[in-house]
Amino acid sequence: MAANLKGPVAHHFNNLNQQLTTVRMGMWMFLVTEVLFFGGAFCAYTAYRVWFSSDFEAGSAALNVGIASVNTFLLLTSSLTITLGIRAAYAGNPKKLRNYLLATIILGVAFLGLKGREYQLDYQEGLIPNVSVLTPEAQKVVNERIAKDPGKADEKVYPFNENLAVVLHHEKFKGEPFVAYDPFRVQLFFMFYYSMTGLHVLHMIIGLGLLTWQYILACRGFFDYNARYVYIEAMSLYWHFVDMAWMFLLPLLYLAGPHSASQALEQFKVAIGLAGGTH
Amino acid sequence: MDHDHTHTHAHGAGAEMHSQELVEHEVAPNAKSLTTFAVLAVLALLALFIGFSNLGEWKVVANLLVATVQACILAFFFMDLRQADKLTWLIALSSVFWTFLMFLFILTDQLTRHLGVL
Repeated sequence: MAANLKGPVAHHFNNLNQQLTTVRMGMWMFLVTEVLFFGGAFCAYTAYRVWFSSDFEAGSAALNVGIASVNTFLLLTSSLTITLGIRAAYAGNPKKLRNYLLATIILGVAFLGLKGREYQLDYQEGLIPNVSVLTPEAQKVVNERIAKDPGKADEKVYPFNENLAVVLHHEKFKGEPFVAYDPFRVQLFFMFYYSMTGLHVLHMIIGLGLLTWQYILACRGFFDYNARYVYIEAMSLYWHFVDMAWMFLLPLLYLAGPHSASQALEQFKVAIGLAGGTH
Repeated sequence: MDHDHTHTHAHGAGAEMHSQELVEHEVAPNAKSLTTFAVLAVLALLALFIGFSNLGEWKVVANLLVATVQACILAFFFMDLRQADKLTWLIALSSVFWTFLMFLFILTDQLTRHLGVL
């Protein structure tokens, strides 16, 4: 992207062909490091998933699969729009290129918006490991338990565990209630959930920043030399990689537990305010 | 935009190299990209269908298989590996190889430990 604005060949390259090859290969090499970066997280997840499979499935059952499903298609569509953007750049059509870049940015922002809403709902349901606050529903359950057996008043209460139990027994939204799980191991699942989706979100934010930069450059006529399409191409490689990472996050985190299509629909309605939530 | 001599010359040379590159680099028509997208979308629906089914322990295997097919299609068509040179293929496949090694050596240790200590 550091190419001068007066010609398509940057000063440190001998010719355009060398520049195109270098830019493409540089991005592919960067993506190798990215694969290994995400690979480490996936590898750790695999080790614990094999050990604690039913606990991880219980954790997955508590996630909002409705938002994840919609986000999958948003990201997939953004992969299409950026690909069409490259085609427009190849064809030397800057106006179409700008439109496709803008569409990609909008789809990416929509993904992040929904992701933010998902984190907010998780927070409201008290599904943060080591959280110190009981949700009103969980407080009610604890109170009822103590009322039935006053001897349990001295027992230590772990808010995450109580909140999780409420979420997993809320049949309308979360499917079949889970019985056989260790809530402390589910906390481990949630650590993976937050760190892996957090890493993905970080990549999305960086990608959106770069896309916005390219959109500004496109508006300034930088891509009027259509030979500069290689920068869009390099950006698209990164964006497709982010999409690819999501293709594996979806089944490993969201689809690991029991879910249903009707539950996903209900969860999405709650997320966009068309139905009441668990709270 | 200004059109000084350097600029025009660079543009001319660029256009020549660009058309050369386009001869070697086939530009896929939009219809082809739309078909690729449709296939990826159908596979995403399949992943959700499997996720909502009751396949037990096979669910994750089936879903990872779908994700792998999706990733291959994405890399082959959208990321244009289909017409990449051998060196790019080598770089792309090296990521799979190094990841495989990482999984192999870490998991052979982790998954063969005595589970009683956990």
